[in-house]
Amino acid sequence: MNCTDTTRLMNAYSDGELELAMSLAVEEHLESCARCRGSFAGLQAVRGAIGRGCEFQAAPESLRSRVRAGLDGECARRPWALLRSPLAVAAPGLVALVLAGWLVVAEVMKGAGPPVAAQTRVVYHVSSSDTASAALRNLANHLQAAPGVKVVVVAHNNGVDFLLRGARDQSNRLYEAEVKRLSQRGVEFRVCYNTLERRQIASSEVITEATLVPSGIAEIGRLQSREGYVYMRL
Amino acid sequence: MLPHLDAAYTLAFWLTRNEDQARDAVQEAFLRAFRFFGSFRGEDGRPWLLKIVRNACYELLEREHASAGAGEFDEEAVGAEATAPGAVLVFPVNPETAAIERANRELVRRCLKAMPHDYREVLVLRELHGCSYKEIAVIAGVPIGTVMSRLARGRRLLRARIGESVKREETGT
Repeated sequence: MNCTDTTRLMNAYSDGELELAMSLAVEEHLESCARCRGSFAGLQAVRGAIGRGCEFQAAPESLRSRVRAGLDGECARRPWALLRSPLAVAAPGLVALVLAGWLVVAEVMKGAGPPVAAQTRVVYHVSSSDTASAALRNLANHLQAAPGVKVVVVAHNNGVDFLLRGARDQSNRLYEAEVKRLSQRGVEFRVCYNTLERRQIASSEVITEATLVPSGIAEIGRLQSREGYVYMRL
Repeated sequence: MLPHLDAAYTLAFWLTRNEDQARDAVQEAFLRAFRFFGSFRGEDGRPWLLKIVRNACYELLEREHASAGAGEFDEEAVGAEATAPGAVLVFPVNPETAAIERANRELVRRCLKAMPHDYREVLVLRELHGCSYKEIAVIAGVPIGTVMSRLARGRRLLRARIGESVKREETGT
């Protein structure tokens, strides 16, 4: 190991991110090279200074109450978001507790096999803004023909457009009104967050009827494999 | 009980450098986390939440920056000069190491606050939150190699700035 390598790896060494063999090689070089030792002392000094000057900050109590109240409000407004959790508690005040338990929940979910479908479940995949109108029309027909069917719409790519604030169809009607009607009938709309990030759309642009999921594709895969949904592309 | 609220607030404070903005960003991030929650599966919750906090902070800063007009981020220009691609990353052997050890708390905080945000975020996540490189990569949405180089450059720049400030204070200039 020479000075260039040591300089390159010094930070990772200090952070304990190097494998043992690499770590030992850096140490060996530091022992024999005064110049690199000086650099390393500088690095440690700056880390020490940050440690002394900047401690972990406790969130103010007022923020804690504000966050809790905000979550309770959100819960009252969109109780189905909680119903999707296996804890199935929708009482305001329990939201924070549920959020606290997410790791436990995640573990439970991992262990659970695909549930037996008590109803027909369909996931509509909308990936283009051209097909949004057709998707909503088909969806309304679908609900009429098969009352009780559970439908989740997952939007990604340009398919997210109709779920943004102020979006209108070709006849200049707001999509939001139709989405609201459908969500009152139990249809869920989920928007791919990766798409929003990639297209630099703020999540506040998404209408409140829709929830965000980290990845639209992953969500469709999960719905099919874990929750027994049938896939429909529109 | 709210998980990771302190971690969220600490990150938001150092990214926005303002208590009110930090509170707003954390509030927004927890609402988003809740909206995400239905689809959250399996991974470790903390980096996931911190990523949401980080994005909420930058969106908030961007909005307020856009409405307030330019002029707040002059530090970026200073940072860019010191970190041009290919800039040498060697810590020079330097008597300033001793000066850094004398730096007081306020001075260190001031210098860290003045760092360009790309460096500030990796430094805070590493030194205050104790995140691994892999976690930082997830939170900041950059490759691990970038995390490594930003940490190296960030520490070097911070070291130089603390050293200069200590010298200035001690000589009274």
